Amino acid sequence: MQPSPRRIDEKTGRYLPVIYPEEVPYWEALKQRKLILQRCKSCSKAWFPIGPACPHCFSMEFEWAQMSGKGVLHNYVVYHKAWTTWLESRVPYAVIQVELDEGPRLTTNLLDCPVKETRIGMRVEAAFEDITDEITLLQFRPAKT
Amino acid sequence: MTELAQAFLNKTAVCGVGLKIGKYPDRTHLSLAAESFKLALDDCGMKREDVDGLICLSFGSDYDRLLEALGVNVRYAYQGWSHGRFISPMLQQAAMVVGMGLAKTVAIVHGRRSKAYGQPAEPEPWRQGLGPHGESPAYGALAPAFGAAIAAQRYFHMYGGGNEDLAPVAVAFRKHARMNPQAIRRDPMTTEDYLKSRWIIEPLRLFDCCQNNDGGACIIVTSAERARDCKKAPIYISGMQGVHAGRDYHNLTLPGLGVAQQKVYKYEPKDEDLYAYKMAGITHKDVDLLMTYDAFTPLVLFVLERFGFCKPGEAREYIKNGRIELGGDIPINTSGGLLSEGHVIGWNLFIEAIRQLRHECGERQVKDAQIAQYACFLGESIIFRR
Repeated sequence: MQPSPRRIDEKTGRYLPVIYPEEVPYWEALKQRKLILQRCKSCSKAWFPIGPACPHCFSMEFEWAQMSGKGVLHNYVVYHKAWTTWLESRVPYAVIQVELDEGPRLTTNLLDCPVKETRIGMRVEAAFEDITDEITLLQFRPAKT
Repeated sequence: MTELAQAFLNKTAVCGVGLKIGKYPDRTHLSLAAESFKLALDDCGMKREDVDGLICLSFGSDYDRLLEALGVNVRYAYQGWSHGRFISPMLQQAAMVVGMGLAKTVAIVHGRRSKAYGQPAEPEPWRQGLGPHGESPAYGALAPAFGAAIAAQRYFHMYGGGNEDLAPVAVAFRKHARMNPQAIRRDPMTTEDYLKSRWIIEPLRLFDCCQNNDGGACIIVTSAERARDCKKAPIYISGMQGVHAGRDYHNLTLPGLGVAQQKVYKYEPKDEDLYAYKMAGITHKDVDLLMTYDAFTPLVLFVLERFGFCKPGEAREYIKNGRIELGGDIPINTSGGLLSEGHVIGWNLFIEAIRQLRHECGERQVKDAQIAQYACFLGESIIFRR
């Protein structure tokens, strides 16, 4: 997989994630239905967003480690205004911040859950959404158990 | 406080201001900036040759084109970044430049168009992460309101309450705007009107969000001594502190709310978080009016807790019953703020502070105002004194 500077999918009008060179392993793993994040070789903590050093201890030695994909819905908002044409058929939709059991928080959407049932504190698990032939987006859905 | 700060106190002043707010579809950033500069010169009775320092933001034309257009040569020029959080540092810098003798008189000049000519009104695609308002577009997380909405949601989760608790902010500032002939949004607004306004990003409604408009602003800073010879009363710069930043200070939120990677805790300011008060030798109780960056209503709750006007989680009660309105304990954004007066990156908030301390605000004048504070949820602040 290559880094991807493209911001918008011209075919659908959907915004794409800009994929920077150092983020490629993360996106390659998502394509394989796996969530990996950087984990510090010095203090063993994982971090996000993807970056050059451990923000906890500033070690620059890290490995890509698979996460459980489980976490808690830490925060959310509901978009009623559609900022793009692609979003018009999708409002109202929730944007959530998930706190993984490993610690880092990620911003995604909540799939398979009506907006009205979205609650801070609910258990969620990783889901994977193919948005182009190359790019799979990390998403979350309510935990099954 | 350092010795240098001690010597610097009240030794610089704002001597002139100029402001344009409205719809100017046929004008450029450059012409709005130039007119604001002229208005500020007229306001203080200076000539353009008196200005030997320029600070501007990256909006419209660059500093050198602006100076070329104004026909002014300076010995100190700086161009900063166009975001509300960076306007305090620029005014602080202007004062420090004057204090250090790098220029005698610094003009901060800004021109703004709500939509850049020929460009989409988008954030900063050339920056890694798409800039401060890059958000997460692939997830439909677009627009600056996202940051304030997600912070407000955490605030309500931690402390109780909900959207209706933001109404007093929108209603108070609209009341103020109705006493301000320059304000853009001047229709009356009741709590019921507020609650009927449509959702934008829940928990924020339309009336929780400021509008976008064209405008221009200029603030001229010089030595206290020189300012005393100007047309209007000098407004002294008495204290300041910077933008606090890092993992615990996320975009459009208060520390402790747990937005993005922030720690979750009940934020209360420590002494070092209140350096501006220490420098000015005051506490928040001495402040006659507070001006704050109110692009979104929750930011007003946050600044009150950030500067210790109330305890963690108490701001939603604190703002009720007219406390933040003219005539209340602590009038906030007496011009109507970004929410109702208009959006000139916040320069208009500084200009209102100056005009209030000069006692030129007519119907909306804070009686006998002596000390005005500009302060924001990220911790940046300037204390002005007449």
